[in-house]
Amino acid sequence: MTEAEESVKPAPDVAALEQEGEIAADYVEGLLDIADIDGDIDMDVEGDRAVVSVVGVKGSDLVGPGGEVLEALQELTRLAVHRQTGERSRLMLDIGGYRERRRAELTKIGAAAADDVKRSGEPKALQAMTPFERKIVHDAVAAAGLRSESEGEEPRRFVVVLPA
Amino acid sequence: MLEEALEHLVKGIVEHPDDVRVRARRIRTGRVLEVRVHPDDLGKVIGRGGRTAKALRTVINALADGKYVRVDLVDLNEAR
Repeated sequence: MTEAEESVKPAPDVAALEQEGEIAADYVEGLLDIADIDGDIDMDVEGDRAVVSVVGVKGSDLVGPGGEVLEALQELTRLAVHRQTGERSRLMLDIGGYRERRRAELTKIGAAAADDVKRSGEPKALQAMTPFERKIVHDAVAAAGLRSESEGEEPRRFVVVLPA
Repeated sequence: MLEEALEHLVKGIVEHPDDVRVRARRIRTGRVLEVRVHPDDLGKVIGRGGRTAKALRTVINALADGKYVRVDLVDLNEAR
């Protein structure tokens, strides 16, 4: 891609993202009603993706160990959006602030791994993570001035932090 | 409640929501929820490499209060 092409990259279509959020919110809210789970739904657009957050939920049943239930529900929600819009959705679903907490943890993990690698001069492999999680770690490593790569196959793909 | 939850989740992602039927059966180790969908939608509810089926099972089991629930996905016309 040339620089000119990059610079004409269209701005995110906020109206379309808001529509994604509406469809997703209906789908998730329907599930909460059926399962008799209390919670409110917040909708937002962050950059080029819609974000739907379930807030005020008690318990973490819908997050699950390592966020696996949340990931599954996000996957289904994206499919529900895709069925109605015909477009692939990159919508993010959050429940009970899980993603925010996880983001803070992963930023720490990335920064600590970068410190280790600077000290040892050896590459360091981290635990398997979801694409969302790896992105946060890559960003934290880059902020510490090192490079990192993902290796392995989903769902066992993991970040490797590389020495300078 | 689980039947209804599963029906909602499946209806939202298929092209023929009116053809979705969920039936519950007891087995010795727990329960089976059998989901019947339009033949054209079976691939969709299974997903690439079984990804969508796995997501449905994960969510339903999270709502099942620790009890074992099996989710079977079948074609509406499949004889049993």
